Amino acid sequence: MITFAIFFFFAAVAVIFAAVVVLHRNPVVGALSLVASFFALAVMYVLLEAPFLAALQVIVYAGAIMVLFLFVIMLLNLQHQEEPRTRPVQQFLGYTSSAAFGLALIYYLAKFGVTKLPDGPFVSDARTVGIRMFEAYIFPFEMVSILLLAAIVGALILSGRTGAIPPPTGENKL
Amino acid sequence: MHGIDWVDAGLSGLKIAIVLGAMLSVTPIMVWVERRGSALIQDRPGPNRVGPFGLFQSFADALKFVLKEDMLPAKANKVLYTIAPMFGLIPALTTIAVVPWGRPFLLPGGRLFEPIIANVNIGILLIFALASMGVYGIVMAGWASANKYSLFGGIRASAQMISYELSLTLAAVSALMVAGSLSLTDVVWRQTGSFVLFNTIKLPAWNICSPAMWMSFIVFFVSAFAETNRLPFDFAEADAELVAGYHTEYSSMKFALFFMSEYMAMATMSALITTLYLGGWDVPWYNEPPNAFGFAVSVLAFVVKVSALLFVFVWVRWTIPRLKYDLLMKLGWKVFLPMALGNVVLVAWFIAKGWI
Repeated sequence: MITFAIFFFFAAVAVIFAAVVVLHRNPVVGALSLVASFFALAVMYVLLEAPFLAALQVIVYAGAIMVLFLFVIMLLNLQHQEEPRTRPVQQFLGYTSSAAFGLALIYYLAKFGVTKLPDGPFVSDARTVGIRMFEAYIFPFEMVSILLLAAIVGALILSGRTGAIPPPTGENKL
Repeated sequence: MHGIDWVDAGLSGLKIAIVLGAMLSVTPIMVWVERRGSALIQDRPGPNRVGPFGLFQSFADALKFVLKEDMLPAKANKVLYTIAPMFGLIPALTTIAVVPWGRPFLLPGGRLFEPIIANVNIGILLIFALASMGVYGIVMAGWASANKYSLFGGIRASAQMISYELSLTLAAVSALMVAGSLSLTDVVWRQTGSFVLFNTIKLPAWNICSPAMWMSFIVFFVSAFAETNRLPFDFAEADAELVAGYHTEYSSMKFALFFMSEYMAMATMSALITTLYLGGWDVPWYNEPPNAFGFAVSVLAFVVKVSALLFVFVWVRWTIPRLKYDLLMKLGWKVFLPMALGNVVLVAWFIAKGWI
């Protein structure tokens, strides 16, 4: 009973704040709403008896990535974004395609929706996740790290043209 | 659903009351320690008029905060401006729940009393998750104030938190590897007892005494200052550069809330350093009996360690000047991150060799 109340409360929080992200004009409010939505999602993980995933969700998404987003938004000092008026054709296509996607989502959830956890012990502690990741999924794991490394190197090359940055002077040395 | 165990619920309530009371009284005590401590370090008397040794100065301060006018800047975002101070307080108050603060003992009737509010198996991850939410209070306050200096404070805080959270977490990984568990209860149990160094010196088995761990202790300790926005890393406030940083526009109780969350975050960090590196509630060279006396002694040991660390926070603030901002980033990314990563490898080697 209490579980249900908690579920519906945080489900509502997640949906409402996700809507605010899309609808609010102010990018800072949008980013903060996304944080609230992520946090509510983490509560869902706790209710699914996966507190490890919940903690990771908050640390990685709500804690790290969104702070970075906010940092960029505040650094660029984005204020109320005025979108240029869209053409009626664009509006029509946008509304119909998103409505179609929403209908498809509802249809497939109703057809194949999972309403209860599979039987048997469900373990998602750090040990299990670690062993699975470094035994069964070691190859995708390494591929993702190479992908991330490539992204970092690419960002460095794009942002700092070689020779454009003056060499550090002595007083800046640690 | 099974019925509620009322004795258990009562004990939980008692534990929450004890910890919450301790956390709330940290701020008035620490304000006094900070003001008298800074005076001691700078060779001046400090506040000494209200009560003996100025002990009631904090109450006078609190009264002043309540009576001041609560200002709202004209261009501020009202909602965010109001909830920002509360947001800062939540992580400061909740993270302490997974820190054990005494030796478990059997109550009369055979029930085990565990002095920890929530003994969850993800332990320290919960702390990092909630602590990472703490930065939003500062960022929100900085942005919602509609003030350039506040905004700068908020931007600096977010950059600094991201940088130092990495080294803080990686440093803690070493301690968790030694314990082989994410639960802080296990981390403390692993540090009870003692070991003999070079067949001569008998040391407590605390992580700080271990040859593999002192490097991670240094990284964690210094990063803790950055995470709590204390000097020499108080770039979010930086009163010489940004007026008062993110809380420039705040007054009255809202400002007091920022003040409280800073000191509570300090207390939580001290408790965390104590638990991870200084043996938690363990009394050195002494085997606490599993009864009420052992419990009392261990709680006392924990409080003494946390208080000593809190004093170090004050001591450092009035001794070491603020860094330059580029040095802060260099220190975080080029010194502490490699150190913490290297320490993880070192600890892994020690474990593989069977030395830990």
